[in-house]
Amino acid sequence: MVLSAKNFVADPQFVIPCIIAPFIFTMVSLFFIVSSSSNNVGASALLAAVLGGGLMGVWGTTVYGSANSIGFDRWNGTMEATLAAPSPLIWIVLGRVLWNTFIGVINGFIVLGIGMTWFRVGVGLLNPGLFVLATILTYVSMSSFGLMLSTVYVLSRKGGFIENSMEIPVYIATGTSFAVALLPFYALPISFIIGPTWGIEAIKRAAVGTAYAYGPLLPTGYWTDIAFMLVATLAYFALSFILFQRVETIAKKNGTIEEY
Amino acid sequence: MQVVEEPESAKSREEFAIEVRDLRREYVTRSFFGKSSKVTEALAGVTFDVKKGELFGLIGPNGAGKTTTIKILTTLLTPTSGRAFVMGLDVNRQIYEIRKRIGIVFGGERGLYNRVTAVENMKYFSDLYGVDPGISRKRIPELIHLVGLEGRENDKVEKYSRGMKQRLHIAKALVNDPELVFLDEPTIGLDPAGARDIREMIREMEKWGKTILLTTHYMFEADELCRRIAVISKGKIVALDTPSGLKKLVKDISVVELQTYGATESFVEKLKSLNDVIRVVADLDSERQFVKIQTPNAADVLTKVTQVADGVKIIDKSIKEPTLEDAYLRLVEE
Ligand SMILES: Nc1ncnc2c1ncn2[C@@H]1O[C@H](COP(=O)(O)OP(=O)(O)OP(=O)(O)O)[C@@H](O)[C@H]1O
Ligand SMILES: [Mg+2]
Repeated sequence: MVLSAKNFVADPQFVIPCIIAPFIFTMVSLFFIVSSSSNNVGASALLAAVLGGGLMGVWGTTVYGSANSIGFDRWNGTMEATLAAPSPLIWIVLGRVLWNTFIGVINGFIVLGIGMTWFRVGVGLLNPGLFVLATILTYVSMSSFGLMLSTVYVLSRKGGFIENSMEIPVYIATGTSFAVALLPFYALPISFIIGPTWGIEAIKRAAVGTAYAYGPLLPTGYWTDIAFMLVATLAYFALSFILFQRVETIAKKNGTIEEY
Repeated sequence: MQVVEEPESAKSREEFAIEVRDLRREYVTRSFFGKSSKVTEALAGVTFDVKKGELFGLIGPNGAGKTTTIKILTTLLTPTSGRAFVMGLDVNRQIYEIRKRIGIVFGGERGLYNRVTAVENMKYFSDLYGVDPGISRKRIPELIHLVGLEGRENDKVEKYSRGMKQRLHIAKALVNDPELVFLDEPTIGLDPAGARDIREMIREMEKWGKTILLTTHYMFEADELCRRIAVISKGKIVALDTPSGLKKLVKDISVVELQTYGATESFVEKLKSLNDVIRVVADLDSERQFVKIQTPNAADVLTKVTQVADGVKIIDKSIKEPTLEDAYLRLVEE
C-alpha cells in the first residue's frame, strides 16, 4: 500500500525536476565548493564537499518531489480520485514521499560516486557502520519533513493568486532549509528544528570526523545529533498526522478539493 | 407472545443501498479578500431511497445539485445538515467502510494518469482500494475485456480517444468490485456510438447485480436505462417515479414534431403565440431544424402551423406521444 504510488512518481515527468535538475545543480555546487576551498584540499575535505553535494541532491529531490506529489495530482486532475479511495491520504502521500526520498538518496549516491571519481577522492569513510545508520535515519527524517510539507498542497483555493501565494512560503522554506542544512555556520534557529540538519551533521561526523573545509560542525556529538534528529522526526510525523486530519476535514467542508 | 419490531435501520440495511433524509448543503464562496461571502444552497432538503440492485436516475438542470448529492454520498463532501446512509453506513462517520464498497465515475477527462498505461492505472487504483494483488491480477483483464480495451491496455492513456478514456474510467471504478456505482454524466462529450457503448456497459453492470446511481442530461438515456428516476431542480426533488410514471404527468398533452428548413426565432415566437401551445422546443442550429410543440390539442396546432409558416419550409410533421423530456421540461420549469 505504502509503495503503491511508486509507479507514478517514477513517471517520466518526474525525472527532470527530481533527478536531472538536482543533479546538475549538485555538480555545479561541487565545482564551487571544491574551487573555493582550494587552498587546503585534503582528502577528507574533498570527501566532505562531495558528500555535501550528494546530500544537497537528496534534500532537493525530497522537498521538491514531496511537495509536488500532491501538486501533481491537483494539476493532473486526479486529486479527487485519489481522495475518494479508502486509504487515508496520509498513507498515500507517505508512500510517495518515501519513494521520492529514496530516489533522492540514489541520486545522492550517484552524485557522490561521480564526485569521488572526478576529484579523485578516496573512499575512506571514518566509520562506515555509523555512516549507514545516519544515512537511513536521515532518509526517514527527510521523508517526515516532506510529508509535513505536502499538506500545504492538498488545500488550494480557486484563485491562482492564492495558490501561488501558498506555494511561495513552501519554496522559501525549502530554499532556506537548503541553506541551513548545507551551511550550518549561519546557525539560524530554524536549522535546529529541521531534523535532517542533525542527520547531515551525523553523516558528516561518521564519514570524515570533525572535518573542516565544509563549515564547522555544531558542538555536539554523533549520538546527540541522532537523538535531536529522532525527536524532530517524531514531531514531524505527529504534526503531519494532525495536519492531514485537518486538511481532509477542511477539504470536505469546503468542497474545494478538486479545484486546482 | 411478544413481537419485537425490527428497528428501521436494520431492516433498511437489507433493502436499501442508499437512504437520504432531508439532506442539505450550502456552499459559502468568499470574495477575494474574504470580506463578503455568498451562500449558495445547492441542496435544500433532499429525501430519497435507492433499493439494492436498482438502476436509479438523478436528472435535473445544470446546478440542480446532482453532483453535490453524489459527492456527499461518496464521502467527498460533508453535508450541512440531514443524513445519508450508503449500504446502511453513515456518510459522516463510516467513510472508509463506504469507500471500499463503492465505485465512482465522474464525467469528463479528468481522473486518470495519462503518462502511464491503462493497466498501470488500474493496478494503482487497485492498490489504493486495498484489493488483494492476487485478485486484481485476475480482475483487471476481465474489466479490460468488459470495457472493450483489449489490445490497447498497454498503451499510454494519453494516446486514448475520449471514448476510450471514458471506458477506462468505468473499468477503474470497478477495480474493487463495488456493490454500488455512482455514474455522474458518464456519457458527456461522447459521440453517439461511444455513448451507446457506455450504456451497454451500464446494463451489463446492472445484470451483475450492482446498484447504480446515474446522472445524465440525456432524457432518452435516463428513460432507456433507469428503473426509477428522481427529478431534481434547485436543490429539491420535484418528482420521483418510474420513467412511465413520470411520462403520465404529461399524458394530457401530445407533441407536434416538425422538421423544417429555414426556421427562425420569429417562426418559433409565432408558434409560441398560437392557442393551446404550452411549450416550443426548437433546435435552430443545423441546416434542418427540429421543432417540438407541446399542446393538449395536437390536431388543431398541426393545421395552424402551416398558416404561420410564412416562407419556412415544413419538410415533415407528425404527432408524437410525450416523452420523458416533455415531462422533465414541465417539472423543472414549473
Ligand atoms: N465548490 C463549490 N463552491 C461553490 N458553489 C458550488 C460548488 N460546487 C457546486 N456549487 C454550486 O452548487 C449548486 C449545485 O451544483 P452541482 O454541481 O451539484 O449541480 P449539478 O446538478 O451537478 O449540475 P450540472 O448538471 O451542471 O453538473 C450550483 O449552484 C453550483 O454553482
Ligand atoms: Mg454535475
